[in-house]
Amino acid sequence: MSFQDIEAGRPFGSRRGLMNGKQDPTQAVAAGIFQINTAVSTFQRLVNTLGTPKDTLDLREKLHKTRLHIGQLVKDTSAKLKQASDIDHHAEVNASKKIADAKLAKDFQAVLKEFQKAQRLAAERETAYTPFVPQAVLPSSYTASEVDVGSDKSPEQRALLVESRRQEVLFLDNEIAFNEAIIEEREQGIQEIQQQIGEVNEIFKDLAVLVHEQGAMIDDIGSNIENSHAATAQAKSQLSKASKTQRSNSSLTCLLLVIFGIVLLIVIIVLAA
Amino acid sequence: MGILYALVGRGSVVLAEFSGTTTNASAIARQILEKIPGNNDTHVSYSQDRYIFHVKRTDGLTVLCMADDTAGRRIPFAFLEDIHQKFVRTYGRAVHSAQPYGMNEEFSRVLSQQMEYYSSDPNADRINRLKGEMSQVRNVMIENIDKVLDRGDRLELLVDKTANMQGNTFRFRKQARRFRSTVWWRNVKLTIALIVVLLVIVYVVLAFVCHGPALPSCF
Repeated sequence: MSFQDIEAGRPFGSRRGLMNGKQDPTQAVAAGIFQINTAVSTFQRLVNTLGTPKDTLDLREKLHKTRLHIGQLVKDTSAKLKQASDIDHHAEVNASKKIADAKLAKDFQAVLKEFQKAQRLAAERETAYTPFVPQAVLPSSYTASEVDVGSDKSPEQRALLVESRRQEVLFLDNEIAFNEAIIEEREQGIQEIQQQIGEVNEIFKDLAVLVHEQGAMIDDIGSNIENSHAATAQAKSQLSKASKTQRSNSSLTCLLLVIFGIVLLIVIIVLAA
Repeated sequence: MGILYALVGRGSVVLAEFSGTTTNASAIARQILEKIPGNNDTHVSYSQDRYIFHVKRTDGLTVLCMADDTAGRRIPFAFLEDIHQKFVRTYGRAVHSAQPYGMNEEFSRVLSQQMEYYSSDPNADRINRLKGEMSQVRNVMIENIDKVLDRGDRLELLVDKTANMQGNTFRFRKQARRFRSTVWWRNVKLTIALIVVLLVIVYVVLAFVCHGPALPSCF
């Protein structure tokens, strides 16, 4: 029993050491993929803004910086994934670790595909739309016509033009306020959904911990049953041998009784004579 | 609560309306139709007491609804968009030449149905539907946690029982081994007894044949 325990202790220690060394590249890859996911979401949000009144030169610059940032993240994560893959091939690790690394590789490819799609969409929209320049608020036609006909306009016409322009600005302000209110409400809803998803994530983590602990319990049950099975088999063997020996005992007992009977008979005959 | 009153108009002419409760919403709605500035497409909201009037004007057609202040803006304006599309699809160009309340008899039922839908059905808004689904997932996961905890308790009992069984089988093995040893020793003793008895018989027979306990005649 104690010898078996000593044997059990040694692989466990080495396995733990392997796991500690093995855990870092895989976790690094997972963290990298998560960061790329977040950056790609930001990039997609910026791409969706192209072609709207908020499409400005600053937005284009931000889009460009985000694209470069994602490229850098992709490069780093690719290197880490290659490192993890090399460790998988060289060191003989258990199958679950290989499965986890394969899953990470697939996630990485999915994120890359999504980024390429967003990048293509960004290129299309950047070509189709020109950025909105806030300095030139008035359309060029207004400017040209005003310059051409400026001196000929009567004060009444000029007042009408100013009034129309003011109403247009007011209309745009109303639209902006409306859209911002809608966006704020949607953001609040999405925040609540995110909170609920966070709670579900916590529940899943707790469930994983519980299931893992119960896995250990089931292992204990399994080992108990296996030990019971072995002990019962040995006991059955012992009882079988005992049964065989007892059969031999019965034969010897009968033989002794027969011999005693014969001796007694002879003694009686001799005394009678 | 949700949406309580809805109206479709052209300019300041009311074409169809429906009211879910008995309020003065109709009068206020007419005032709003009179006062909306300009002729452009617009989205505006006016608040009065606990209610908010949401107005959407597109292509000369005005759609208005009164909603509770807890309904927010996303659902009422989705409702207005939906009503506008249904109205235009149903009546087309006739909108521009219709008489006041010309569509009220048939379209007020549509207004009623859509008010009910956007007020009560979670599917009217994708975010609300997602919220509902996430709540369901959370409830199911909480049930799963309870079931797994219960399973854990039963597994603990099972661990105890299998540990007891293991102890009992170890004891059984030990007693079986002891029993085998006992039976074996009994066998040994019987064999020795048999040999002794046979030797005694042989000695007695020889004593008789050789005429004496010391066996004088045979040596």
